[in-house]
Amino acid sequence: MKARLFFDNLGRALLTREIFENKNLSRRFYKYFLIGILVRLVFLPFLYMRDLLSIYQRAAETVFAGNFGSDFYQILTNYIHSAYLFVIKSIVPAISEFSSILLEKDTWVSWISFNSSYNVFTAVALFKILYLLFDIACMFLILRLSFDDEPENRLRAFKFWIFNPIVIFVLYVFARHDIIGVFVTLVALLLAKKNRKYWAIIILAVGIAIRFFPIMILPLFVFYLARSRKDYIVLSLTGISGLLSVELFSYFYFGRSVIFSLLNTQFFNYLLKPELELVTGSHGSIFIFIAVYIIIILSFLHIKNKSFDLLLNYGAIIYLTYISLCFFHPQYVLWAVPFLIVIFVRRKSLIYYHWFQFILVLVLLLYWGPLVTNFIFTPIDYRFFIYLPSPNSIVRLFYDDAGFVNIFRSVFAGVSLWMVYLIYKYNKTMLSNKLNGGED
Amino acid sequence: MKMVNPGLKIIVLVLTAVLILTLFSGCRGVFYIPGASYGYYIWEEDNNIYVEWSIDRKESEFEGRILTDGKITAYNLNGWEESDTIKVEGDKIEFSAALDDTDYSDGFSFAIQDYTYLEFDLKMNGGYDLSRINLGGFLENPEESVFRIGKGYFGQLGEKPWYRKHPFSEFLGKLFSNKYFTFVYLFILGAVIIEILRVTVLAGRKRKIIGMAISYAVLVVAEIGIYFILRFLVR
Repeated sequence: MKARLFFDNLGRALLTREIFENKNLSRRFYKYFLIGILVRLVFLPFLYMRDLLSIYQRAAETVFAGNFGSDFYQILTNYIHSAYLFVIKSIVPAISEFSSILLEKDTWVSWISFNSSYNVFTAVALFKILYLLFDIACMFLILRLSFDDEPENRLRAFKFWIFNPIVIFVLYVFARHDIIGVFVTLVALLLAKKNRKYWAIIILAVGIAIRFFPIMILPLFVFYLARSRKDYIVLSLTGISGLLSVELFSYFYFGRSVIFSLLNTQFFNYLLKPELELVTGSHGSIFIFIAVYIIIILSFLHIKNKSFDLLLNYGAIIYLTYISLCFFHPQYVLWAVPFLIVIFVRRKSLIYYHWFQFILVLVLLLYWGPLVTNFIFTPIDYRFFIYLPSPNSIVRLFYDDAGFVNIFRSVFAGVSLWMVYLIYKYNKTMLSNKLNGGED
Repeated sequence: MKMVNPGLKIIVLVLTAVLILTLFSGCRGVFYIPGASYGYYIWEEDNNIYVEWSIDRKESEFEGRILTDGKITAYNLNGWEESDTIKVEGDKIEFSAALDDTDYSDGFSFAIQDYTYLEFDLKMNGGYDLSRINLGGFLENPEESVFRIGKGYFGQLGEKPWYRKHPFSEFLGKLFSNKYFTFVYLFILGAVIIEILRVTVLAGRKRKIIGMAISYAVLVVAEIGIYFILRFLVR
């Protein structure tokens, strides 16, 4: 009897009371969950992109060689992976057998050795289970993100996440770790929804320390949560405290600045590269994304009655604008997904554009050549997929491959900007319906 | 008007793509795409031996020598340019040819009589890359720089079943050699599928427990069956 009570309470806690107590909804929830898990399991052991091995190689440096500075740019991410690697190597002896491969400095040799190992599927599956755990945690957070008195819509949001092609691709085909940062951001969003302003910002600061992307929505958090002038200052400082902590740690531990190192990497350049040269040959330029970003932030600032749903919509606008205007890696699209999920429930037409985005992202993989196309399949048979002609080389027979991809990149930008427009239009409708002209 | 099943559309699209790729491939004996594939492709067709090479539109030199204990009776050139050279004697062929970003592939074929072996010495850019020499099939590579094949080699290769060829041989080999993973993984997949059946197909049934018991029994039998199938395919 006690066990039943325990599981009932657990069910309510995980599924929300409304869904758990509605037999039809809870059954549908369970069905979606199982099918979603099945799809994830199918991809789990067989596919990954080379970066998964790199991140675990750096974790192995920490776990097997005691080097705590093996990943200078992503310190927290490295420690999370290191802790996880430590746990799985303690439980599964097969993982310890990989230590020499993981510690191999020659990246080509380690990659070939890893893929040719008889138990490569075990290692790939275990490495990706970390992301599966965060993914499952995100599913339950998504359930609570919006639609408080609408269990049917909550379930739809859950469905859109669990069957989201970007989520499945980024985590189980590409095997990138962005889900960790997304999870922390979702926790921060839920805290913001409950008006726990300091906790929301502190958790977001942790998210920023894990991955740089949540910093883009930090101003939205501050404007949404701040109730006084003091709040603006305190919340802003708290928001960047995570990054400052990592900076201080790196400065004292490694003797160099992580922020300035990051600013000098190509990744930060992605933000600045789309620029409008004011006079040909001069130094005068406008960084397009920065200008557009400021417009979006100011647009949010000038809304008088900011609702949580508006915050989510603006989050979607920011990330969609980013992937529209700037060079991005496929996993960056994941950052837009939690925000879009909620919008899909209200504006179903947007999901068709999202699927179109996903198809275009698959074409954009040609930017990186065989590394992200053929080589993803190398655990199955590395020789076959290394020696197979890459899609790039086939495209090049007919047309310049960079030009070919850029056509699709432009279509992607067009679709994403159109989605931004639709969300903006939807914001206006929301405001006029609920707030009766609350905008300045 | 009757709606066409989207699944059928996808199948038609995939088949069309495969057909187009096949048409663009340089030969019927070994699949390769001139200008995209990289390496030597050697096969036998209508009693002629074909030797062709391709590279992904980079300037490259291909040179080599073929020796035999039989007699070369005729030869044909394919995609040959003025700067490419070939010297054919009774029991020997020597060639040298270059490819670049406009010349996607070259090759030749020859007829041969009364032979027991063919000896190949094939170089790319002055060196050996055995993984790029495809002898009668993709990734059917020789083991030595100068290698011999017997008269019946291509016929024997044709009898090789699909599960002994790449990528299936490697994939099935890994599944079988890592049994603990494979069977735990398959069991988890099976259990999830059974759960899906339980909440969908079996949901309205009265004796649900019997359906579940049968499902798990089928799963166990399937696992045993897969074990023996893998053992047979990998042996």
